[in-house]
Amino acid sequence: MGENTSQKKDEEIVSLIQSGKIEFFDILIERYEAKIKRYSRKFLSDHEDINDVLQNIFIKAYKNIQSFNTKRKFSSWFYRIAHNELVNALKKKSKNPLPLFNLDTFLPQYFYDKNNLEQDLSQQQMREIVNKCLDKLEPKYKEPIILYYFENLSYQEIADILEIPISTVGIRIKRAKEKMKKFIKKFKKNYE
Amino acid sequence: MNNQEQKSIKERILEKIETGQVKMRPKIYFLLKTMLIVGGIFLISGFIIFLISFIHFHLRITGLWYLPSFGFRGLGIYFRLLPWFLILISLILILILEILAKRFSFVWRRPIFYSLLAIILISLVGGFIINKTPFHSRLFFQARQGKLPLMAPAYRQFGMPKFEDVHRGIVEKLTENGFLLRKTDDELLKIILTPDTQFPFGKEIKIDDSVVVIGKRDDNTVRAFGIRKIDDQFRTFEYRLPNPQMK
Repeated sequence: MGENTSQKKDEEIVSLIQSGKIEFFDILIERYEAKIKRYSRKFLSDHEDINDVLQNIFIKAYKNIQSFNTKRKFSSWFYRIAHNELVNALKKKSKNPLPLFNLDTFLPQYFYDKNNLEQDLSQQQMREIVNKCLDKLEPKYKEPIILYYFENLSYQEIADILEIPISTVGIRIKRAKEKMKKFIKKFKKNYE
Repeated sequence: MNNQEQKSIKERILEKIETGQVKMRPKIYFLLKTMLIVGGIFLISGFIIFLISFIHFHLRITGLWYLPSFGFRGLGIYFRLLPWFLILISLILILILEILAKRFSFVWRRPIFYSLLAIILISLVGGFIINKTPFHSRLFFQARQGKLPLMAPAYRQFGMPKFEDVHRGIVEKLTENGFLLRKTDDELLKIILTPDTQFPFGKEIKIDDSVVVIGKRDDNTVRAFGIRKIDDQFRTFEYRLPNPQMK
């Protein structure tokens, strides 16, 4: 392996793997193992299940790596595989499965987020709040929120992973924030 | 803890790759898969367009197309006799087409409403364009002559259905109280006009006019509730009917 592989972009590494240098696949595992583990933990609690899903995600990525277009962003493609694997895993467990179809992808929507939940809060505080509220959210709101706050992905990247219009991502994040705001208010009331 | 559990996920995956338990799919696999999906999309689109044009042809040849002009009674018969089975198949195929098309980013990037609307519009326009050609008339004519083994049953069933209260044909002879109607399946019906008979598009009926009659049949006689003459532009399939005088 070359000296400066650590500086290479994901897409360059994939290009090398596609050309037959399969030994570079371990770099992708190193780069994404922790991220995908963290992502999977938000949906699954059992350690074994998480490891199984994690292994399946990497194996699927390796099997299908020739279908990846190196002009696109690798992380979105990889998270898409992770999303599909989690959908399957949750379906098997039949516990809060991620829906395959949602009515909010049917009609055109326009969103303007005037929610001031993030005002005066640091990124760390915001993550803590989101973390506390995650279990209260339906899976269709939970996933974009996780990808946005914990994986630091853009609306466009989230839309590419979930294969939904970007406006739907905006709407889901906005609604999730509204739900979280209600939960926080209720929590404060009970505490006082 | 056994060996397998002690190994890290990375080691387990790399071991599977190195030992050949997991193999990379070749580029041609994905190319063929895409080609298959695109082929499927074209095939289903073609079949939907054919079905929609066939439904339109069925509505015209049976006279159902013209029933809404007879008011509520006409509309009632229209909805009762619509080919719901063919409509259901078309809707299912449209849904399958939407699912296939959603594999492409230019489709899922927009709300489903747009892609579904585009599919429905293209299918309807395609269907109506086909119906401007003598495509179905020719196939119907061949089916009647027994030259179309696969399609003949469908054309006979949907082209010459035995409706109780809708009758489409050509005026063969004028009688004292009505006329004789030669139907698409060559059956001759005696049409009786009453003072209550409706004529939404003119009363004047001549020999060789193409008409739709609604009214319950009693044996070979129909007391007409309504009669409508049909435009010549929709008569292409009738020109090919065998001349009854030559039989």
